[in-house]
Amino acid sequence: MTTTKSEVLLHTPGHVKHDGHNLTGFIIFLCSESIIFFAFFVGYGVLKITAPTWYPDGVSGIAVREPLINTIILVSSSFVIYFAERYLHKKNYWGFRIVWLVTMLMGSYFVYGQYVEWSELTFSLSSGVFGSLFYLLTGFHGLHVITGILLMGLMLIRSFIPGNYDSGEMGVESISLFWHFVDVIWIILFILIYVWQ
Amino acid sequence: MTITNYDERIIKVNQPVPGAPNNWRRFFGFNTDAKVIGIQYIVTALIFLLLGGLLGMLIRGELITPPSDLFDPTVYNGLYTMHGTVMLFLFLFPILSGLTNLLVPPMIGAPDMAFPKLNALAFWLVPVFSIVLLTSFFVPGGPASSGWWSYPPVSIQNPLGHFLNGQMLWIVAIGLSGVSSIMGAINFVTTIITMRAPGMGFFKMPIFIWTVLAAQILQLLGLPALTGGAIMLFFDLNFGTSFFNPETGGDPVLFQHFFWFYSHPAVYVMVLPVFGIFSELFPTYSRKPLFGYKFVAVASFGITILSLVVWVHHMFYTGTPMWMRNLFMFTTMLIAVPTGVKVFAWIATLWGGNLRLNTPMLFCLGGLFNFIFGGITGVMLATVPIDIHVGNTYFVVAHFHYIIFNTIAFGIFAGIYHWFPKFTGRMFYEGLGKVHFTLTFIGATLNWLPLHWAGLLGMPRRVASYDPEFAIWNVIASIGAFMLGVASIPFILNMVSSWSRGKKSPPNPWDAIGLEWLLPSPPPHENFEDDIPTVLNEPYNYGLNKPFVVDEEFYISKALNDS
Amino acid sequence: MNLKDNINPKISLIIGISFAVFIDLVLSKLMASWSYSWLPVQASKAAPYVDNLFAFETGIGTFIFLGCSGVIGWVLLFNRAPKYDESYGEPFEGNVKLEIVWTLVPLFLVIAIAIYSTKVNTTLQNLGEKTKYDSQKELPTYLDNNEASAGTFIDVISRQWSWEFKYPEGFSSSELHLPINEKVYFRLISKDVIHGFYIPAFRLKQDIIPGSIISYSLTPTRKGIYRLRDSMFSGAYFSQNQTNVIVESKDAYQEWINKTVKKVPVDGLNQAGFLYKKRLEKGDKGWATISPSPSPQVNDPGNPDSAHEG
Repeated sequence: MTTTKSEVLLHTPGHVKHDGHNLTGFIIFLCSESIIFFAFFVGYGVLKITAPTWYPDGVSGIAVREPLINTIILVSSSFVIYFAERYLHKKNYWGFRIVWLVTMLMGSYFVYGQYVEWSELTFSLSSGVFGSLFYLLTGFHGLHVITGILLMGLMLIRSFIPGNYDSGEMGVESISLFWHFVDVIWIILFILIYVWQ
Repeated sequence: MTITNYDERIIKVNQPVPGAPNNWRRFFGFNTDAKVIGIQYIVTALIFLLLGGLLGMLIRGELITPPSDLFDPTVYNGLYTMHGTVMLFLFLFPILSGLTNLLVPPMIGAPDMAFPKLNALAFWLVPVFSIVLLTSFFVPGGPASSGWWSYPPVSIQNPLGHFLNGQMLWIVAIGLSGVSSIMGAINFVTTIITMRAPGMGFFKMPIFIWTVLAAQILQLLGLPALTGGAIMLFFDLNFGTSFFNPETGGDPVLFQHFFWFYSHPAVYVMVLPVFGIFSELFPTYSRKPLFGYKFVAVASFGITILSLVVWVHHMFYTGTPMWMRNLFMFTTMLIAVPTGVKVFAWIATLWGGNLRLNTPMLFCLGGLFNFIFGGITGVMLATVPIDIHVGNTYFVVAHFHYIIFNTIAFGIFAGIYHWFPKFTGRMFYEGLGKVHFTLTFIGATLNWLPLHWAGLLGMPRRVASYDPEFAIWNVIASIGAFMLGVASIPFILNMVSSWSRGKKSPPNPWDAIGLEWLLPSPPPHENFEDDIPTVLNEPYNYGLNKPFVVDEEFYISKALNDS
Repeated sequence: MNLKDNINPKISLIIGISFAVFIDLVLSKLMASWSYSWLPVQASKAAPYVDNLFAFETGIGTFIFLGCSGVIGWVLLFNRAPKYDESYGEPFEGNVKLEIVWTLVPLFLVIAIAIYSTKVNTTLQNLGEKTKYDSQKELPTYLDNNEASAGTFIDVISRQWSWEFKYPEGFSSSELHLPINEKVYFRLISKDVIHGFYIPAFRLKQDIIPGSIISYSLTPTRKGIYRLRDSMFSGAYFSQNQTNVIVESKDAYQEWINKTVKKVPVDGLNQAGFLYKKRLEKGDKGWATISPSPSPQVNDPGNPDSAHEG
């Protein structure tokens, strides 16, 4: 069953792009993901204002110094990843790999710093409203940082595949966007937990 | 068969008919074709409709007499919780995803969804979370039994103290369902934004596409709030945190905010595509243009935006401050305005038409009729003083079912019948369809109309037993519920027998306008493949001398030849 | 059709529409007055306000519903296509004027309803104010406004699944006795989960939030026995969590107080406890539930079987 036509078509056949929509999809995903954090932040604010008891017994506040160093490292990694992307645009693959790895290391240091902070705290998940919120927020954010580092590792490995960037750099662009997202979330989180005491 | 001066790939062998004996297996595997996924969703969801309906009939069986005599009250609570959960998360959301999957690519002329693999993954999460949810019937202590709202502190009481409990499985299932819905939403939005046929600007899209876009954006904005709340509830239940636990300083009402921030818009996520179906079917079967296309299209987004700021109307009697109650009453009532624009537009579309009353049209008309009624009781419920009396009574249950079943499910049935010939390549039996409609309409009316009065008299919802003065309303309601159970028989018979040996369907059996009707029935794997029509006008110009696409004749004869 | 040929079609259309609107108005008015009978007896100061508002909305709702479904019915009767007729209807695409009308009319209608409801809302608030307090902070013994400082509170204590009413005279009861035509003040307290304090005959409902104490007030206006129901799902024996409200004359109320004060405390009304015991005797079948809290000790356990209205 085929079309038999001998005359000329009266129209130009239309096309739509089959693929290459990953970045659009990823941006939509990030918008949606930010709402979960937004929900947690709102929960934090509401409980902070209304809860009858806030800090657990024996805790009067939370140390800011180490988290601040951590924050500076994470935020500056956002600038570092930007340079990695620029190297890639210029097709300087080794430059990209090295700077990309630096970003990963900075992210890993942040996770390590979080681990140290968690292990030194005297309260737990189940010690009252503050304990619950603190571990939920930092834990959920930490999970995103770890995911980001793993995805960066994947991109690093894939950069060695010949011809990996022939069809665009969408993977790297997406991960970089994700990293900025994780950073912005952390800044809000830092203000909420450490600055607003 | 001589010269071709267009793309070689157009002239290739057609896909085998979906459902033909040689390829039925593809419906049971990881298939990335949106049309296969759509049918997978719809069939799965219809099976869960039967399960949810069975649970519903058990509930109505218990409530046919005032005392709690058929089940222990704990069992009743589990049954009604699972009824709501199955119907919403295992029937309504999946079946709408199914219709959306079937319709979006052909309607906008795209070959497939933007992310076919993600699409298949989203579908295969449905059986996964269904199994998780249904497993909870067999864990010690029984399934979740705090209602589909799962309000703490009742939901975090965990009577047996086990880590593995029904409530926990419920939260996990809802979480996975959320992941699946978000995957679907990303896919639908990306597809609609980036893969439309040449010439199809936003104001030339079919209304169904408009409503899907509005609904899925709402899904993306709202669902994460519920996910956030569910994560916190999960920790409260299993790890002793104190987000919502008043004993350790938490706030149980906070959960209600998270829950309703999504779960009220969720109703719009479900009803918007049904508005889309109404807007497609009324012009087709009235043989008239859709009245005020642009108004109907834009009204969808009016509903989306407003529905994000109405959630507190579920909490008028929880001690919310006065200003909040008045504000949210007003925003809730405002939704009547864009909705009214749509309803009046449909009625104006019918006016002066040449109505063809076949099964899909009957379901549409029934759905519209019920929706007007449900909308009016909705405005009553938005009114604070009335809500304080009838909130949490059977009046709410009746209103809710008037929207969720008598409107949304009616619209879904209309859609299934309307597009059945397109995607199976076969016609359904009109007679059985009419029997199905008649039984459904009478059953649904008997079931939910009387319950409004039970609620007005003060019968609380979710009760396993009630005072004898409410008996009469409940007896009628139960008869209606059993009738709805019977109504599923002609439907199943019709679907199964029509698909296997129904009359072959032409490409455009309803003489409808729309890109999907320019395709053979069933459409080939990649729809228009590399010859997508260029759209000139919106697809509602019945009886007007406005061409729909460039060179329409070519596509019509091509579809006829390929069928 | 012949009629239309003779008379100017525009005039006959106007006459037809006005006639239909008139019928619709009459039916809506009838429905509105009928709607009062769908509700329980009016037994509080708030009830008439709520019922009037409900009748008002029933009237408007009926008008819209009959209007819309009347058009649908008309179309179904007179615009059906004959079999095999696939010709087009009248191809009009829209009418901007009409669209603006049916956007603005509902908008004004909604604003009108909202203004009316807000007024009723304020009235109800003045009839029975409610304030939420944190239970961890100091409990209110008196309300802030002057009128209230004269009275004391009846404590409404809700549990899974029983009610207890503590009177300022120092006794407690399983049934809520109230004097007629007098404003009474409550403190609503929950010992476990969220419950709903709902008396249909009073048209009043308030969720009781654990961790908060809600001060609440109302004025009963009609002698009789009414149901108080838990309206917020509270677990296994939720539907058993109901009791009676007895509104009586001031003298009878005083007499009841004098009598009850002297009584020895006994087990209060606890239908859930009774059913749970029965369940245990039968081998504890069914799905899991937490056990009901023990019966409150009350001076007057009341009589749950006495006939109630509304």
